[in-house]
Amino acid sequence: MSDEQRRKERLDRGIKIRSDSLYAIMSWRELAYLTAPRFLLIAGILLLPLLVPGMYWQRVVSVVCIYALLALSFDLMAHYVGLVSLGGAFFIGTGGYISAMLNTSLGVPPLLAIFIAALLGGVICTVLLLPCLPLRGVYFAIVTLMYPLFLARVIEALDIFGGTDGIMGVESFPNRWVEQYFVIAMVLLFLFGLRRLVNTDLGLVLRAVMDNDQAVKASGMSVALFKGLAVFIASGIGCLAGACIVHIYMWSGISLFALDFSILPIAATVIGGGGTLVGPVIGCFILVPVSELLREFGTLRIVCYSIILMAFVVFRSEGIMNYGRRKYHQFERWVKV
Amino acid sequence: MLEATDLMVFYENMLALNNVSIRCDESRIVGVFGANSAGKSTLMYTLSGIMEDIRKKEEMSGGERITVLGRIEYMGKEITRLKPSKRARLGIVLCPERRRIFNESSVLENLRIGGYLASPKQAKETLDYVFQLFPAIEKLKKRVGGFLSGGEQQMLAVGRALMAQPKLLLLDEPLMGLSPLIQAILVRSTREIRNQTGISIIVTEQYARPVIPIVDYAFILENGTAVLEGTKQEMLGNPDVRSAYFGVEEEGGKS
Repeated sequence: MSDEQRRKERLDRGIKIRSDSLYAIMSWRELAYLTAPRFLLIAGILLLPLLVPGMYWQRVVSVVCIYALLALSFDLMAHYVGLVSLGGAFFIGTGGYISAMLNTSLGVPPLLAIFIAALLGGVICTVLLLPCLPLRGVYFAIVTLMYPLFLARVIEALDIFGGTDGIMGVESFPNRWVEQYFVIAMVLLFLFGLRRLVNTDLGLVLRAVMDNDQAVKASGMSVALFKGLAVFIASGIGCLAGACIVHIYMWSGISLFALDFSILPIAATVIGGGGTLVGPVIGCFILVPVSELLREFGTLRIVCYSIILMAFVVFRSEGIMNYGRRKYHQFERWVKV
Repeated sequence: MLEATDLMVFYENMLALNNVSIRCDESRIVGVFGANSAGKSTLMYTLSGIMEDIRKKEEMSGGERITVLGRIEYMGKEITRLKPSKRARLGIVLCPERRRIFNESSVLENLRIGGYLASPKQAKETLDYVFQLFPAIEKLKKRVGGFLSGGEQQMLAVGRALMAQPKLLLLDEPLMGLSPLIQAILVRSTREIRNQTGISIIVTEQYARPVIPIVDYAFILENGTAVLEGTKQEMLGNPDVRSAYFGVEEEGGKS
């Protein structure tokens, strides 16, 4: 065997955080190693509105958070349940219209209306999606893509809910800081909440459903029930995002069913790294501002966008977060064989 | 004909093959025996080049890093880094584990896909030969592959591999999950293929007894290392081998 044969070895660095039931943190250094990334993310997001120049970019941060919520919902459905959903716009629209109507017709204050809309919208979306739950892959995607188009046309044709004009005069948040930090808080809440959720038994079952639903059925669990539950959580998050955007723009209209809400979260998930939950949020924080910066180029912005997306899919299909996580937790060295 | 020297395959830091050297001469049947996780499939993937493909895909998606070291020589040419499609053109054809037939295509279509590399005349001749070898699947010509029984699927998989005009046929666990009767048919046809066409065959199996009568030379893998090699007689004479791979003792079973 010749001597120059070498290979690159990957070794885990740092500590094992949870050995089943035991936290073994031995020093400040290890504590920092564990908490620094999370702390950086939380602090970064919290400080962002103070650091960006002007109200325009603060508004952009809010929009980023809306998309981040959608991306979280997409990531949960796609990578933990195996349902590829193109229904971001469907959730946004449903949640948005419910919140707007609650606010304008019944006078429910925005912060309450948002939560009612999230729950109610989640139920409505889940019920509407129930018949499609046995579908997989592209079929589910197509059905979820059809719903927003369908609802938008229904509203337009029947002239209900304000028709093409939409619902005007929706009350805004008490002030812009509440607005800003409310959406940020929601993103952080659901980000860490979902991370917890996917590590519980429920998350385990959901992943099993994605892998092999027949085996899950054979274990005596109802696949439909778990899928329904996951769709309810995901659509609830989407509806919450929709309700927020209605109160940010103080208007609800059929543009809430725009395709952007379906596509951008997926792009963000691809760039950020699917299945990590943090990745899609980071992806949104990259993609949405980039798309704002590219606004001057008009239609060309879609072109730039698509190129970024394609490059990621082709060259780094694992996404930023998976790559970064690997680099953070493992180091590499050359070893002689 | 094929000579692999000092093959080492790492899945990330796990050593799947450790300094395995195996050779297969012209018109020989070589058996590779070993338990689960001994590295049989890894060896077959490495020889057929599928490992190169897996390695590339893992690299692109940021998965496991696969390292392949060593040297594979085939008819005097080094092919260690050759793409699987190129190797198939040179005549190294893999009949993969768990058959992997095209479920949605009919039997005939499956065979014709396999015959992509062959000239029309060769393809026709081989098709006739496959049907002569396995009369059972001739009757099922129009049937969709996914609805065949395990044994029929395995025959189809071997037939498909033959259609690619192999000079060296790699059979990865061809007897997996089959009844003794079907096993016997497959073993017999494996010998016929060698005797009638002169194709060299490397066959892996966990349980050596059904296969050992037809092999000329055998290797035994344990945890990625080739612990023993020898002719059929040497293997049969070795008490350790007899208990572990021929099921003379009870624990030898099918695990």
